[in-house]
Amino acid sequence: MKITEDIKISDNGFVFNSRTGDSFNLNPFALELMKNIEAEKSFDQIKAEVMEKYDIDDLSFEKDFYEFCALLKHHQIVLQDNPLDFK
Amino acid sequence: MTKITYEKPVISKITAGIPSKFGLPTRQKFIPDIDGIPVEMIMEEYGSPVFVLSEKTMRNTFAQAKQAFETRYPKVQFAWSYKTNYLDAVCSIFHDQGAWAEVVSAFEFQKALSLGVNGSNILFNGPEKSEEDLKLAIEHNACIHIDHFDELYLLIKVTRELDKKARVAIRINLDAGIYPIWDRFGFNYENGEAWNAINRIMLAEKLDLIGLHTHIGTYIMSANAYAVAASKLANLYMATHRKFDYWLKYIDLGGGFASKNTLKGAYMPGTETCPSFDEYAEAISNALISSEIPHENLPVLFLETGRALIDDAGYLLTTVLANKRSTTGRRTMVIDAGVNLLFTSFWYNLGVYPTRQLSSHLEESTIYGPLCMNIDVIRDAINFPQVKTGEKLVIERVGAYNMTQWMQFITFRPNVVMIDLERKMHIVRKKENLDTLTSLEQNPKR
Repeated sequence: MKITEDIKISDNGFVFNSRTGDSFNLNPFALELMKNIEAEKSFDQIKAEVMEKYDIDDLSFEKDFYEFCALLKHHQIVLQDNPLDFK
Repeated sequence: MTKITYEKPVISKITAGIPSKFGLPTRQKFIPDIDGIPVEMIMEEYGSPVFVLSEKTMRNTFAQAKQAFETRYPKVQFAWSYKTNYLDAVCSIFHDQGAWAEVVSAFEFQKALSLGVNGSNILFNGPEKSEEDLKLAIEHNACIHIDHFDELYLLIKVTRELDKKARVAIRINLDAGIYPIWDRFGFNYENGEAWNAINRIMLAEKLDLIGLHTHIGTYIMSANAYAVAASKLANLYMATHRKFDYWLKYIDLGGGFASKNTLKGAYMPGTETCPSFDEYAEAISNALISSEIPHENLPVLFLETGRALIDDAGYLLTTVLANKRSTTGRRTMVIDAGVNLLFTSFWYNLGVYPTRQLSSHLEESTIYGPLCMNIDVIRDAINFPQVKTGEKLVIERVGAYNMTQWMQFITFRPNVVMIDLERKMHIVRKKENLDTLTSLEQNPKR
């Protein structure tokens, strides 16, 4: 999964898509995830970091992560061929 | 090392639009308890979903309504509208507060009798009264509110057969300046039908005309409409006196006062726009007192308000079953209470709240009930924080009509619990089970 080149993300969670003109707000955790996705970290790597840092179990995080990714795809923020391929 | 509290990742699209000029609060309200009892505790004991009624709210609301009218008009009598909520526990509280019973069927009539209401303190409304029903009402000396000429002539026949007098009033429909005009019930004022009915009743030996009744509609947001209705009834009241040298006993303005729920399509919430009891009382009392009726002959003012007295006292506690995303990316949520329990969700944007402070990040969401039916939508658009499955939610202002118009469909109807003035919880209607339903069925042997 890769963030498209048209996307600009500010440090305070504002996202702008220069191709569609859409803009978005991220909550702090969503911003953290976006930065990780931007850095092309794998899902397992992100999960391990999150589990270490946050009070959350792996299944709940996995569910939220996939839902978040589906939204990123819906808003044309990421390019993704296979929704389960996060490498 | 203490871990950081997790918050679900959220991305929300920024949509340009006109900001609300009314500046309504955006902070998420939450309801942790009902009358001091934690919602979690109630649900642990009585399951989910569960209806909860607050006796304290019922009594306080009734006291407010009573005070609003009794400080403005000398003779006021409330009659509890059974169809709004006819659970025995609810009716008993309003009767204990001094309300008569307002019923619209033999079933409700018998329920009132079974609760110890004196027959002469029952107002019998409604378009459906069989010969048997009329006999029952006459035997108990109830006030029969005649709906149409067929009923009037049936009543004359029944009183002759029984050789007993019936106490009657007529229901009158009129133009009070609100639309649509409810003209399907009663006799029309403007075209003279009501006056004709009064004349016919006054000629009947066995009918004792004692009152005039109107019910101009439901969820009436204009207090002035009641003033118009009261003036028109006052005119008929005086006309009856002039022609027959007889004073009627009461004028009944029915129900229809709005509760604080928000109607679908309304721009502002009901809490901001609905008239208070004081506003309704001011309009009605002024109209009657400033009419031609001499002060010493003012009629008793009957009120049959139901919704405005009970809606606020009812809550439905429910649990989140699932969070989903629609094909358009819209957030949707499934809860365990459906439209079969919440008839009023068809015309209100019911308030749905968490029981605790959750994320301040709200997202427009759709809330579905659990039924396997496409129409099962509790809220089609509500700004709601992220919640996990199992989270408890509170739906407020559901005391009116839901516990009478609910439907047993797909699943059982839940427990109804009442919290009394000493904060004790009582089941006032048990959750249904398979036996409740199958005991009424008969399966032919083959």
